[in-house]
Amino acid sequence: MENFFSKIVELWTTPEYIDSLFHGFLLTIEIAFFAVFLGFLLGLIIALIETGKSKWLNPFKFICRVYVTIIRGTPMALQLFIMFFIIFAIRDFPQIITAVLAFAFNSAAYSSEIIRGGILSVDVGQTEAGMALGLSNFTIFTKIVAPQAIKNIIPALGNEVITVFKETAIVSMVGMYDLNMAAKDIGSGQNMASYVVPMFTAALFYLAVVYLISFVIKQIEKRMRKSDVRV
Amino acid sequence: MSESKKSIRSEISVRKLHKSFGDNKVLNGIDFDLFEGEKVVVLGPSGSGKSTFLRCINRLEEPTSGEISFQDTPIDEKNVREMRAKIGMVFQHFNLISNLTVMENLTLAPVKLKRLDIVEAEKKARKLLRHIGLTEKADSFPASLSGGQKQRVAIIRALMMEPEVLLFDEPTSALDPESIGDVLDLIREVADNGMTIMIVTHEMNFAKEIASRIVFIDKGKIIEENTPDKFFSHPKTPRVQEFLKKVL
Repeated sequence: MENFFSKIVELWTTPEYIDSLFHGFLLTIEIAFFAVFLGFLLGLIIALIETGKSKWLNPFKFICRVYVTIIRGTPMALQLFIMFFIIFAIRDFPQIITAVLAFAFNSAAYSSEIIRGGILSVDVGQTEAGMALGLSNFTIFTKIVAPQAIKNIIPALGNEVITVFKETAIVSMVGMYDLNMAAKDIGSGQNMASYVVPMFTAALFYLAVVYLISFVIKQIEKRMRKSDVRV
Repeated sequence: MSESKKSIRSEISVRKLHKSFGDNKVLNGIDFDLFEGEKVVVLGPSGSGKSTFLRCINRLEEPTSGEISFQDTPIDEKNVREMRAKIGMVFQHFNLISNLTVMENLTLAPVKLKRLDIVEAEKKARKLLRHIGLTEKADSFPASLSGGQKQRVAIIRALMMEPEVLLFDEPTSALDPESIGDVLDLIREVADNGMTIMIVTHEMNFAKEIASRIVFIDKGKIIEENTPDKFFSHPKTPRVQEFLKKVL
């Protein structure tokens, strides 16, 4: 036990270790942030194509279906390998971009399903009311369908953000120095020669961010529910 | 006589309207005219196609074949939005926009379609809300209104656009008996002010009272059309006689 506390002190008093830890943490945050953002945009486009009513969308719908099926049917780690060792196997290509794209493409498939479900869950009567008033499809979507869909989407999308954030830990498999890798490195033989403290510290970092994300999502949910209140 | 006939404008004309959902033929060739100022009540057993007929008029349902004109202009994909703005509709389930307040529900379409600016629209909305006694609900969301209140707001929402025809699709079927009266009073008032009206309803007494003409649909066809007096006292077809025996 004494050893455990001395290891904590050692970790937090060695500038090299702290530096590694925060570098890793920063990389994890960067990858997750851009992947979630890009993944959402791409997912939104896929969801709009899939829920669109125009006939000319049909071939695109098919492509989206195939895309979502492939992404959801194969392991994320394999998708990461394919991105690193096949698609972006280019010398000096920035690793972080490859990683962001890998997670964004993966998250897009899941986000699109969440968004699609959210759009489809809006009562068709709401759309019909807009149509009967002579509103354009654009106005119906932006003023009526989207605000109601967002309310249904937020909780599931929050989960997706958390999933992506944690899943970024597999970038250590392709040698990137993220939070997960930092913990392993600090605990290795050349450094602290004990994994316990660095790994539990990394776990606390992940946990803190996940907790923060859930808190923010809860607050957003609360605000969005204001039109449901029966007073 | 022919002079006065000529001056009555055709608001809606329907020719050879067919509508199928897959193999299910719901409308089997409907020919129908609605003239200015008329109050037409559409009756028929459930599943006869009454609502589908009404919903085809403003193309909420796309007809399988046939032609529908508004004031002698065929409604097509290009002009449908413009036409819908002139043909108001009131739904069975009210369909107030749940993420917008009562005031926003009333002002959204007239402002977006540039009929009124926001100040004029809100002024008009307040006037109509005062008229139905719901001034204090202007900033409430629909979820906080009772069914009867929702439907009355839905009716004035349609009126905000100053439509030339108002379609009612079973406007009281989802209401409790107490609020039915309030909604019928408002519909009666709109009718008395000269609005051209088409209404699908199961309220026989109201139909009798308000209709200038009754149209009876069975199996996707109009099988009988008459003034309410004659329709209820001397039904011509056995199908209508049987229907009336059951509902009256």
